[in-house]
Amino acid sequence: MTKLFFATDIHGSDICWNKFLNAGKFYEADVLILGGDMTGKAVVPFVHQGGENYKVTLLEQDFQITNADELADMKKKVRSRGYYPYMTNPDEITELDKNPELVNKIFLGEVLKVVQQWMDLADKKLDDSDMKVYCCPGNDDMDEVDEIIRASTRVVLAEGKVTLLDGVHEMIASGWSNRTPWNTHREEDEDQLKVRYEAMIANVEDPKNAIYNIHVPPYRSGLDDAAELDKDLRPVLAGQSIIPVGSTALRAVIEQHQPLLSLHGHIHEGRGTTRIGKTLCINPGSMYEQGTLLGALVVLGNGQIENFVLTSG
Amino acid sequence: MSNLFVRKATGMVRSWSVFDAFIYAFFSINLVTLGFYSFSQMYYFGGGMIPALLISAAFIIFEVVVYASLIAVMPRSGGDYVWQTRIFGGGIGFILAITGWWFTLWLWTPIYGDMLRQIVITPLLGAFGMQDLAVWFAGQGNALFVCSLLTLGFVALVIFLGMKTYARIQKYSFYAGMVGLAIVIVLLFTGSPDAFKRGLDTNAASYFGTSGSLFEPTVQAGIDAFASTPLMGGTFALIMVTLPYLVFFNLWPNWGATLYGEVRGATDYKRNFSGMAWALGVTTLLGILFFLGVNRTIGWDFYVQANAAWWNYAWGYVTEAPPLPVWPNPAMLAVFLTDNRLVQIVVLLLMSTWWFGWAGTLFLSSTRVIFAAAFDRLLPEKAAELNKNGTPVNAMLYMVLPAILVSALYAYNVAGFRSITLAATQGIAIMYFGTAIAAIILPYKKKQLYEASPIAKMKVAGIPLITVAGVIFGGFLLFLLVEWFFDPWLNTGGVPPGLYGISIANTNSMIFLGACYAIAAAIYYGFKSRRKKEGIDLDKVQSEIPVE
Repeated sequence: MTKLFFATDIHGSDICWNKFLNAGKFYEADVLILGGDMTGKAVVPFVHQGGENYKVTLLEQDFQITNADELADMKKKVRSRGYYPYMTNPDEITELDKNPELVNKIFLGEVLKVVQQWMDLADKKLDDSDMKVYCCPGNDDMDEVDEIIRASTRVVLAEGKVTLLDGVHEMIASGWSNRTPWNTHREEDEDQLKVRYEAMIANVEDPKNAIYNIHVPPYRSGLDDAAELDKDLRPVLAGQSIIPVGSTALRAVIEQHQPLLSLHGHIHEGRGTTRIGKTLCINPGSMYEQGTLLGALVVLGNGQIENFVLTSG
Repeated sequence: MSNLFVRKATGMVRSWSVFDAFIYAFFSINLVTLGFYSFSQMYYFGGGMIPALLISAAFIIFEVVVYASLIAVMPRSGGDYVWQTRIFGGGIGFILAITGWWFTLWLWTPIYGDMLRQIVITPLLGAFGMQDLAVWFAGQGNALFVCSLLTLGFVALVIFLGMKTYARIQKYSFYAGMVGLAIVIVLLFTGSPDAFKRGLDTNAASYFGTSGSLFEPTVQAGIDAFASTPLMGGTFALIMVTLPYLVFFNLWPNWGATLYGEVRGATDYKRNFSGMAWALGVTTLLGILFFLGVNRTIGWDFYVQANAAWWNYAWGYVTEAPPLPVWPNPAMLAVFLTDNRLVQIVVLLLMSTWWFGWAGTLFLSSTRVIFAAAFDRLLPEKAAELNKNGTPVNAMLYMVLPAILVSALYAYNVAGFRSITLAATQGIAIMYFGTAIAAIILPYKKKQLYEASPIAKMKVAGIPLITVAGVIFGGFLLFLLVEWFFDPWLNTGGVPPGLYGISIANTNSMIFLGACYAIAAAIYYGFKSRRKKEGIDLDKVQSEIPVE
């Protein structure tokens, strides 16, 4: 039997990445799998005001930094929410306001810097362990992230491949999603997703013991319930109107091939488990901005799930 | 100058409309269903209803602060169950939330059913001239049980339709209901006492087959039932003792809180706070306006006496039906001010939307908490199963089957079961008390989480606002709990029913509450033990993983 731990959507949170690396030992798992959307969503400018003084606005609250200790503390707070602190000055801020391309460049630089730090940490922390760690970036993650993961000695990039987790269970993985209102880095139409999934499934030798690690949840699974949005990306009816937003292509391949297990993320509020036919589908959800690592522990048997539980660490 | 750069990423939504948030909170503290119903039962108090409304709102505003703060610190978590579990640990959170959001809702079913018949079915049947059927639906036993079943059918339909459809039905119901209420208030302020007396006699005869003058006999029946509640006045102490009854109506602005979406700043806290606070404020003002309108045309004393006459009969203190043989629905009394039957029907239909736009969420929170518990492996996996249409059939059965049993006990008043009406509020208030304690200690127990939250800088005299609000709201809840359990003002001899009917002297109430907590504890410890044998340590899977 193999015990795997799955977490997803940690969106740049240092705390969650550290917890993820420690989860193997904590839960006595054999395999660690991180689903997509590793990268953060916001850059927080630390605007230099002269001397050791900085002005920072976090979550619409203004903070005046007056010494090095406060600066370190503030950076930690910003990182704890998965945001990226960026040291800057009023002139540069004015320039950035005018030029969104410069902001994108800063974003990419900060994102890649942190992913590199994470891979370095994993390589160091897991150096003397035989823990297997798999990552599969999601639709919010830039393409450049893949290269950094690929270069890691301890973390395996799982995107687009069939990976043998143990002697029995093969895993296919993809961070690509169906279309979203945000036009993110890895999204495509349902028919293209189907082609992507089928290409991997064709190489699976034992479909009944397969694991689908697919970032987007299957359509109408309860794992894909999200607030309906209007054209301005505003929750309709104050978030009371809930609609399914998962992938129909994924649902079709799960129904057809009936893998043992499917692992998902993407919809942070969609924490839960469900069955599609014999397949156990899991979305552990995400509370990355609270520094809580939501996850799933699954004990894999031959042709069956021996046990599973959602975790909140 | 920019203070934050965000990129296009999944879930980066803009803020929701405060007005929409207001609508859902406004419908949760529903003036026409919960309000009219509970006001009518409060006929024997000494504290004025208007000051009671204002003072209760002053306390409940701190509930709004507590819930808006918790949502800001721990958004998207699903509410009380997760907050309490995260702050206290597994056992307490599970037992309080399962009892408050699941078992207690069984008892709400016949109460919703009672409102369905009194607010919707009986007046409309009367307006359409079906006198016997109207009076039958107002009666005891079978009629109430049938209406409880109709309520369950409606709730099941809503779950089948999904929240996308029902959220829209709620919004349309809001507009229709507001038009209806506006007409009722206009009728109350433009009518006269004489016109009301005439309208009462002629319309009651036409609706329900009564004969002769109803006014004086109703006044006498009310006096015999010790009707006493004033509109204004009363000592502070007398006003305070009305609150444990009044909160049946207005303890719920947090039901409409927006739990979805990524909270990105203090503005989102203010939006959630504003939605709930405006709902509380507007509902309180409308309540006062309604009372003043009643006072002007129906007459406050008659209103209280008519209610006393009805509930004295409905609660079984007398066996003879009151002169007006149905619940004195104030909307119906208001439409008696016009002789135009079409107008009467239209207004009654519009007022019905207050029930239809509200009752559908009866099991919404229950379904959420059943799912959360199943995902935590504290219920069978099948509890969270969806059928092919995406309907949570098993979770519905967990709600519906016990609710049928409880409805039968309530409808047929088995062993005086109907006396525990307020336990429906008590069970949820106990859970809220747990949440208030969680809010008080949050900044200290989860320091890092709190300090990196949108409310970190909101303080009163250096103390976190969430802690201050938690202490006031928790103190208010403690007062309610002491009043409910010990009923010290009237129940000094230990003789039920007391003011609230759910004191420790009421065996039914204690058995119901005790059974709920015992079942919750048995489920928690039973499943925990079972999972341990299966190799899952539920304490560990809820524990924080070391960061270093």
